[in-house]
Amino acid sequence: MSAPAVPAGTGGAVVARPRRQPGLLRQILSRPDGLAGAVILLAFSVLALVPDILTGPLQTAITATGPRLAPPSGAFPLGTDELGRSMLNLTVHATRISMVIGLLATLVTVLIGAVLGIVSGYVGGRFDALVMRIADFFLVIPTFVLAIILTAIIRDVLGTGSRELFGIRLSLITIVVVIGITSWSSTARIIRSQTLSLKERAFVDRARVVGAGGGHIMRRHILPNVTNLIVANAVLTFAGAILTETTLSFVGLGDPFQPSWGQLLDAARTVGAPGLGAWWYFVPAGVGIVLVVFAFTLLGSALDAILNPKLQSRR
Amino acid sequence: MGLQYTLRRVATAIFTIVLIVLLNFLLFRAMPGSPERILLGRMPGVTPEILQQTRERWGLDRPLFPDQFVAYVASTAQGDLGFSYSARGRPVTDVLLQRLGPTLLLFGLGEVFAIVMGLALGAYSGWKRGGVVDYVGNGVSLVLYSTPYFLLGMGLLLVFATGLGWFPTFGMSTAGATYASLVDRLVDYGAHFVLPLATVALGLIGQYAILMRSSVIETLGEDYVTTARAMGFRDGRVLRHHALPNAMLPTVTLVAINLGYVVAGAITVEVVFNWPGLGTLTVDALSSRDYPVLQGVFLLLSVAVVFANLAADLIYGVLDPRVRT
Amino acid sequence: MSDTATIRGRRQWPLPKLADPDAPLLMVEDLAVRFRMPEGSVKAVDGVSFRLDDGEALGIAGESGCGKTTTALSLVRLLPANGRIKSGKVELFGIDLVPRTEQQLARYRWREISIVFQGAMNALNPVRRIRDAISEPIEVRLGQSRDASRKRAGELLELVGIPKQRGAAYPHELSGGMRQRAMIAMALACDPAIVIGDEPTTALDVMVQAQILRLLEQLRRDLGLSLILITHDLSVIAETCDRVMVMYAGRVAEEGPVRRVFTAPRHPYTQKLLSAFPNIHADRRTLDMIPGMPPDLRNPPPGCRFAPRCPMAMPVCTEVVPPEVRFADGVRVACHLYPTSDAPMVAATATATGAAAGAVTGATVAAHPEPGA
Repeated sequence: MSAPAVPAGTGGAVVARPRRQPGLLRQILSRPDGLAGAVILLAFSVLALVPDILTGPLQTAITATGPRLAPPSGAFPLGTDELGRSMLNLTVHATRISMVIGLLATLVTVLIGAVLGIVSGYVGGRFDALVMRIADFFLVIPTFVLAIILTAIIRDVLGTGSRELFGIRLSLITIVVVIGITSWSSTARIIRSQTLSLKERAFVDRARVVGAGGGHIMRRHILPNVTNLIVANAVLTFAGAILTETTLSFVGLGDPFQPSWGQLLDAARTVGAPGLGAWWYFVPAGVGIVLVVFAFTLLGSALDAILNPKLQSRR
Repeated sequence: MGLQYTLRRVATAIFTIVLIVLLNFLLFRAMPGSPERILLGRMPGVTPEILQQTRERWGLDRPLFPDQFVAYVASTAQGDLGFSYSARGRPVTDVLLQRLGPTLLLFGLGEVFAIVMGLALGAYSGWKRGGVVDYVGNGVSLVLYSTPYFLLGMGLLLVFATGLGWFPTFGMSTAGATYASLVDRLVDYGAHFVLPLATVALGLIGQYAILMRSSVIETLGEDYVTTARAMGFRDGRVLRHHALPNAMLPTVTLVAINLGYVVAGAITVEVVFNWPGLGTLTVDALSSRDYPVLQGVFLLLSVAVVFANLAADLIYGVLDPRVRT
Repeated sequence: MSDTATIRGRRQWPLPKLADPDAPLLMVEDLAVRFRMPEGSVKAVDGVSFRLDDGEALGIAGESGCGKTTTALSLVRLLPANGRIKSGKVELFGIDLVPRTEQQLARYRWREISIVFQGAMNALNPVRRIRDAISEPIEVRLGQSRDASRKRAGELLELVGIPKQRGAAYPHELSGGMRQRAMIAMALACDPAIVIGDEPTTALDVMVQAQILRLLEQLRRDLGLSLILITHDLSVIAETCDRVMVMYAGRVAEEGPVRRVFTAPRHPYTQKLLSAFPNIHADRRTLDMIPGMPPDLRNPPPGCRFAPRCPMAMPVCTEVVPPEVRFADGVRVACHLYPTSDAPMVAATATATGAAAGAVTGATVAAHPEPGA
């Protein structure tokens, strides 16, 4: 963790800011794992940002033109599904869905986790004990089953509809929220840990003596110093969010109108693709999932090595 | 072993179970849109009068606390988890028990395999660092770690069942088959078991191997290993009696922490192979919105995970004397 | 000067088969140890020689990184993966250990040479009770039965002052001093000829330190142990050792009887070392510091390695490695202040004694006045 540097001549108001990491991006790219992860993610981000340009609009049952469940050919490089839609088209569009849901879910998770972590760590006492008990609870129980139930209930309450938020249908936004509700615990624990050790440092005491309030201290002193940790944690959370969304979609909670990779895999299973030998149905989406999660894991380990050199083992 | 340690762990476990029951209770009653509308909403021909009758019958017009909660806890404690919709009113408990066996078999054996092989692989990698096995194993483990279990299962299905035809593609046994002997029956069950088991095991091995490897590497650098070498013990003895007992400890913790996640994986693997366990039950109940069954599954799985965590904690206490005080 | 025969008379266990009855207990000649690092090869030990006789206590002193621990550990080849004994002889009972294979060497580990490590938490296996840690080498290396090993472990615990009931304890349940005693009991398990203590008291507070030193001294007397004590703390050596070897940057600066070296140090480094050490009895004065840093051993300076920091350096010091010179009072020094070229002096090897050398050193001593304390 970068040590805070106290600027000279600040007199009474001491604000501790972390030393700027010299070219964090450059540091990441100089490492093989960081570089590989970044390149892979860049490629998928391009796919996610402009799917229409690359393969045309998302095909539907009406606009499908291909033979049903056909293996790859010249016209359809990745074959077709049971409705005759091009798998290439579907998979590329699914990239956008999966990545955006992953991003949104990560934002929600990290927001909840960081806020709870900082406040809980700083305030301490009964509030801290309570929050940590709840966090431990979420860490122990199989949150996947809970997520399934929650998603089903919320969907039933909200009803069906085609409203969208950030370009994503509400049914999938439900998944974003549910992931946030069930995954914040480990982020909160990590941030809280860091907050606890920061709390003991001199610059916090000085701020308190000067009369700064808790909120001010948390915002101006603690938050800047946990940012690095939050970023590193967010990277790994993203990987987990994608896996969770994929799994939730696979068990039937995806939206056929906005298929994510997981939804495509669900469709593949329902149609019986593995049993029929129709590998083109699920292998592309599968490869996408593995590559993106792998890329995030690589990035995460690169970030960890850069930001926590003490813990890095030179092996 | 320290009584205090055990009591503390048991108390935490009980507390967690109480929270689980509370959560289960609140999931449906505290949602906006009254519970009975959610539960009955999909059924045709439901009039407001029926809704009102149902409210009264289920005691939903009584206050949430303590009446409803007490009634809920009481019936749960007696093993009454309600009745399944899709299973024509069969008690949820029955339905769960019927599906429990296959899941325990798949998941239990899978974990055992993964632990044994993951520890062995990891220990070997850690001991002989830099070998081909080390690099390849590490790479494969990392890729496996990024792969959802069900994807792995679909891949294995494609290659080994459809492609090579070595194994059947779904179910626990061939539907409608008659067996000439017990051996035949076992062979058929066994053949169906291989791919799902392999999927669960492979999904887990990677994690355990990676952790064990780094744990062994760290342990080998510890001073007491230098002491053991200074005593003139052979490498085998140093590894088995001094390094491994210490290196294993983080893995025990990981097994416990992982249990919640593994449940998710096990559910999806069952779906891929149509394995008649709790996983396929959950997904079927999900699509038919059979909420009593879903609640029952949540309760059962959560409590099971809590107990498994408790067992892991106690085992850890046996293995590591430092935590017993 | 006692020899192997005396040891044989005293010990319970027989000597190794190849032992030479007339050889000294331990004789190290020109030991050189290298470490392979990514930046280059580090010459951590470069030409160290010394001798240990039965019942003696030799202290090895010097700053961190001077190679004292490496020297001691390399006696039983307990080096990390990137370390290697490049050359030299390590003769135990006249048996050279250097060319022995790992398997052959294992025979001598613990049974002839054992080590008391710095008793920090980690030198003892945290998941083992200490009585099992002590009985394990007895059982495995000496082939004793489990019961006999346990019994002996109990005796050893009593010997070091740990009540037998405490043997069931785990390392984390013991205080630092108790852990150190347990380590000593472990080191004695196979009745070794030599016990090496690697900073055995450094992690302890002063009172406990005194207890441990007293224990070591008592064991040495009662069991006739030979001791090699490695430490940077000169007071420990002054209290417990017969001879001291001062090392600097992988080489021996000065070596001889403790009394002589500490009261009349000849090597400039030894002098600085002693004056840097606060003396509770002396008048208050500012501590001398040695300016500069120890050399980078990847690229050590030519000639004497202390020359860059030596207040009495001469031009020859940066060119020629100072040869060892032996004086009549039994002290060896490697410093150009005491050259061999004046008189036909025999350059010191550990066995050089006799009238010729004595006559010559008498002349040398007259030529060079004794350096002041």
